[in-house]
Amino acid sequence: MLKRQLPIVIVIVVGFLTLGGHFINNAPLKNFIDNDATQWYDIIAGFAVFLGSLNLLKLHLTRVVRKTKNWQYSIFSVAGFLLMIIFGFVYHGSEVDWGKHLDAKDSYFYWMYWYIYQPLSTTMFALLAFFVASASYRAFRIRNYEATLLLISGIILMLGRVPIGSLIPWWIVGGMYVALIFALIKSYFKSINLSIYSYLLAYVFLILIGGFVFGWHQNTPAFLKLNDIQQWIFNVPATAGATAIMIGIAIGTIAQSYRIITGRERSILGE
Amino acid sequence: MNNRIAHILLSLGKVDRKIIFAIIGIVVFVPLIKPEWVDIPVQISPDSKKVFTELSSLEPNSKVLLSFEYGPSTKPEIHPMSVALLNHLFAKQIKVYIMALWPDGVFMATDALEQVLSNNLFNVEEYVDYVNLGFKQGGEVVIRGVASDIRQLYTKDFKQVSIDDIPMMSGVNNVSDFDYVIDLSAGTPGTTEWVQYACDPKDVPFTSGCTSIQVTDVMPYVKSGQVRGILAGMPGAAEYESMVKEELQRLQEEGFPGINADAVVPTGKATGRMSAQSIAHLVMVLFIILGNVSYFISRRMKVKE
Repeated sequence: MLKRQLPIVIVIVVGFLTLGGHFINNAPLKNFIDNDATQWYDIIAGFAVFLGSLNLLKLHLTRVVRKTKNWQYSIFSVAGFLLMIIFGFVYHGSEVDWGKHLDAKDSYFYWMYWYIYQPLSTTMFALLAFFVASASYRAFRIRNYEATLLLISGIILMLGRVPIGSLIPWWIVGGMYVALIFALIKSYFKSINLSIYSYLLAYVFLILIGGFVFGWHQNTPAFLKLNDIQQWIFNVPATAGATAIMIGIAIGTIAQSYRIITGRERSILGE
Repeated sequence: MNNRIAHILLSLGKVDRKIIFAIIGIVVFVPLIKPEWVDIPVQISPDSKKVFTELSSLEPNSKVLLSFEYGPSTKPEIHPMSVALLNHLFAKQIKVYIMALWPDGVFMATDALEQVLSNNLFNVEEYVDYVNLGFKQGGEVVIRGVASDIRQLYTKDFKQVSIDDIPMMSGVNNVSDFDYVIDLSAGTPGTTEWVQYACDPKDVPFTSGCTSIQVTDVMPYVKSGQVRGILAGMPGAAEYESMVKEELQRLQEEGFPGINADAVVPTGKATGRMSAQSIAHLVMVLFIILGNVSYFISRRMKVKE
């Protein structure tokens, strides 16, 4: 009874109270959701941090004791964890009061944060640049229509977001447009030579000659500037896609919240 | 002859990843240590310009809440924005209220403040011109708390000084008492939560500086006007830095009282880093093109066989 029904009753009561606070103009109810509930959350979150820390310690100590795969790394986790606990709560080595030691340059906590954690964390993230470069070299292939779209928009964003994108001239961007069209219609060409000659012909007539006729070399239109194209991708297709996803998430959240506050969703109890 | 060229092009699609790592390392490292070798002018995007115009239009003594939601991993991208924003706000004699929803955020905030104050460009005083309220656990709930009653949430600042003893906190009770809210975000809780739980319901002007990867998620809010402009990743930081530097130099020349005439206006770090990012992106695009040429040839050869 206590293990199953009581948590469900708490969730239902608090859920309806919180929901009601948004729709009913009642001062005590508003005070509850704006102030009391947030204080409760703080207290529960404090306990959750404590439980999480204990769980972390238990997990890694078990690994060390049982010598499971890569147990050596757990020694570093436990050592780092205990050191930060000691420097944070037990001994900070500085002359300032507790609390102020977090910002005191002569405290051990400060030193550990800025000279151990900060460089390690930055280094880990910096490694991504290398892996992204290697992965995009291997994975970005024109295999089908969707992959072609992904590749072209990826290249436009990569170059359009950085200052070097503004230095890329209109006739190269024009060449990219023609290349995209030819990538899409390549299956209609019977030989590779025919497709190459057709591409060159289309490029010269549509872009180079067309460009000089319309004066694109003097006044480049936005569709031939990489920075403007990437801005358009961000503003139109990316925003449309992100908005659609957000609406989907919102509807999903409403459905899930309804299931939780009516006691239908029991995964929150660990079932 | 044709076969030889085809084989050379084919081999370009099978470059060992150690070589790719080495090339990326070199093209990033060289512009970082010698930015003057690759000096590419920064183009200002409309979204960065909007943030600058909005903050420039604030009156002296306006109150701005600056929330730090990033850590060391995203520091190179967002920290230059923080420094440039603080420079801009102090130059306009605006009161800055700092808070953090991420534990790391408070350290980032103190570091950014230290960097700005070490330039001796502004005559600002703690608790009169700026206050660091510190970190609070709770994410969205903290934002809700700021929206309803900040004094119940924060009873002391980061240095354990009582909120009631801080002069610039007088009259500040909730988010509606701020003239502007700025979020520097690398994830959740961050920009989206500030829009949903505080700034949109209470109608407080809000803008954001975020990582490049977050921009797509935030753009719908920018287009709807709920976020007024955006500083998008390192390019956004570099753009803002260049605008602020120009503004500071102009104000210094005009003898604006908030800026020390004999101090040097610093150049931000993002501008130099953009050269490294530019070259790295260009090299990555070249690798992708080479990979595709090789892929195309290998497919042709398979069809012939």
